[in-house]
Amino acid sequence: MRRLLQIAAREYVAYVRTVGFWLSMLALPLGMALVMGASGYMEASAPPPAIVLVDRTPGQIYQQPVTAALTTPGGLRERPRHEVVAPPVALPGDTAAIGAALKPWLAGEARLPGKRKLAAAYVIHGQGEAVAVDVWTDNPLLGATAKIRQTVADQMQQSRLVAAGISPATLAEIRALEPRITDWSPKTSQKASLLNRLPGVIGFGAAMLLWSVIFTGAGILLNGVIEEKSSKVLEVLLSSATVPEILFGKILGVAGVTFTVLGVWGGVGALLMSLFAPAQAADVGRVLLSGGLIFYFAFYLVCGYLMYASVFTAIGSFCETTREAQTLLGPIMILLTIPVIFLSQALRRPDTPALDILSWIPPFTPFMMTARAASNPPLWQVVGTGAIMLATVAVVVWIAGRAFRAGALSTGKVDLKGLVAKLRGGE
Amino acid sequence: MDAALELDRVSKRYGAVTAVDDLSFTARKGRILGFLGPNGAGKTSTLRMVLGLSAVSAGRIDVLGAPDGRSVRDRIGFLPEERGLYRRMTPVEAIVFLAGLKGVPAGEARRRARDMLQEQGLGEAQNRQIRQLSKGMAQKVQLIAAIVHRPELVILDEPFSGLDPVNQQTLETVIRKLAEDGATVVFSTHVMQHAERLCEHVVLLARGRKAFDGEVAEARASVPRALVLEGALEAGDAVGLPGVASVASQSLGEGLWRHVCALKAGANGQEALKTAFARGLDIQRFDLREPTLHDAFIVLTGENPGPEATVAGEAAA
Repeated sequence: MRRLLQIAAREYVAYVRTVGFWLSMLALPLGMALVMGASGYMEASAPPPAIVLVDRTPGQIYQQPVTAALTTPGGLRERPRHEVVAPPVALPGDTAAIGAALKPWLAGEARLPGKRKLAAAYVIHGQGEAVAVDVWTDNPLLGATAKIRQTVADQMQQSRLVAAGISPATLAEIRALEPRITDWSPKTSQKASLLNRLPGVIGFGAAMLLWSVIFTGAGILLNGVIEEKSSKVLEVLLSSATVPEILFGKILGVAGVTFTVLGVWGGVGALLMSLFAPAQAADVGRVLLSGGLIFYFAFYLVCGYLMYASVFTAIGSFCETTREAQTLLGPIMILLTIPVIFLSQALRRPDTPALDILSWIPPFTPFMMTARAASNPPLWQVVGTGAIMLATVAVVVWIAGRAFRAGALSTGKVDLKGLVAKLRGGE
Repeated sequence: MDAALELDRVSKRYGAVTAVDDLSFTARKGRILGFLGPNGAGKTSTLRMVLGLSAVSAGRIDVLGAPDGRSVRDRIGFLPEERGLYRRMTPVEAIVFLAGLKGVPAGEARRRARDMLQEQGLGEAQNRQIRQLSKGMAQKVQLIAAIVHRPELVILDEPFSGLDPVNQQTLETVIRKLAEDGATVVFSTHVMQHAERLCEHVVLLARGRKAFDGEVAEARASVPRALVLEGALEAGDAVGLPGVASVASQSLGEGLWRHVCALKAGANGQEALKTAFARGLDIQRFDLREPTLHDAFIVLTGENPGPEATVAGEAAA
């Protein structure tokens, strides 16, 4: 145990001292801060897109409601999404010529006051039930067209209904009619809340976390062992410690590195969440602690990580370059992509039979059972898959130990036949 | 028991290939044992079995009272043939880490590491990363890492390979010091001169089998002394000299020859020389050569262990 911990400590310190560790530690928070900051800055600093709205219908009945719809404040910052501006030039009487008249501003050749670009021009024309809207813009994502269509349609329908004898007051009352929808939780028979949906979301998040821990941790292990193999350190280690001590020491050390990064990210996230959304943070904490869910996740996390980390470490012991490792890694990488395909399915339809089947296949068990936590899988499935998982981990670690010893002492390239022979001979 | 290491009819097979065949020998406590053989003779395979890095196919090993090195690894120091250290560690860090695996407390290991690095002239390099050191310096660091825990048995696999003559001399001094301090040293090499200078006891290995096990003097005694004659005399002239058992001849060009005359047991070469001069044979140069361990190796194994083949060796063969 002493040697195992010493090897783990060396692994941990070796990675924590590298620039790459600190870059990866800071990359996510910095990246997120950059994205959020940049989008916030853009939203705060950029004025809403300027739109020219021309109503050529009799009585100009659309001008006011459409302007109101476009300039209603919205979004996180409660700011108007669009600004309706006066035409920068006297518009021709011919509706079809309006676009041509505004072309210099729409194309950016001329600017509005304040050097702003004209984002779009909407020309509403026609009358009665033959109202049309001409849209002049090269920005299809402006978001104004849908609002204008809806507002104009409402007005057209209102005109028709009023003409049919329905008073505007009645119409307003009719428009206000809508069903009251209530979400009920099948588990608690009470009104559903965010808390009811959280286990599913947390299960999905935990499965993705497991996947990323395996992917990054196993990658670090693989590269570390390849470096040790190529620099001939492995034979020195083997003469100083047992194979399980080396194997588990490395796995533990790299797990420490991975969990340090995730711990810092999670800690920062939890801190921010408790500051800005304390109620939701409390809900997440309650879900994780209720019914031992956190231990359920921890079990599959440890099993999954041990299984894949041992395999990657053993593969690394046979290779002196990453290129050599790639040929042996191919099947493992394919295995690792399959859970990702099914994880989102587990969030939307946790009872899909395919997920049940995959849960019994050991390489996928940790991901699937973690993601299915929300759907309360039957106890016999939890116990059954858990037992198979434990047995698989024991077998994989045993084989990986033999492979690690054989790989560490081998020279030259190892093909599949040679690998099997070495495993059988324990050499 | 006086033995630090004992092998009894040990074999190692890799599939159809037998790397070590029925090997037995004993390394006595506090002595230096030379484990000699050409590349591929089975030296590294044997040492790996001793350390417990690979399993024995047949036979029995006793290392410091244990069936292999695994259960007594803290009492063994090992320098592998292919050297390797963590390149981003400093010498002190690497030595402290490896000493820690052998049970030496960090503070004590650090003190020993600094002292030993200083002794080896690496005092100024102790805080530089190993990747910044020369190959010779890194090899010294590795040797220190192998012995910093003061092992009872030190196993050195080809310790002299890659070292310049000055560092080879330094290493010989270190090995002698280890033995003086009571450690048993087993080192493998294919360069016989080191074994000749360091060991009393050698084991010669060829094609996985033991060819000789005994004192260096005993090995040398198995090879006849040789009288080397150079000049215009012919092989027939040399064969007829008294005390000469056989002759190997080599043309030196322009009618000159080198004849290596293997002498019969008890013959000292003086009689042969006197007779040659008395007969007026054309001798421009002569040399009476004592057999070396290298010569003995060739005689005993029928193989040449390395590039430094000697004339006496040729004659004996």
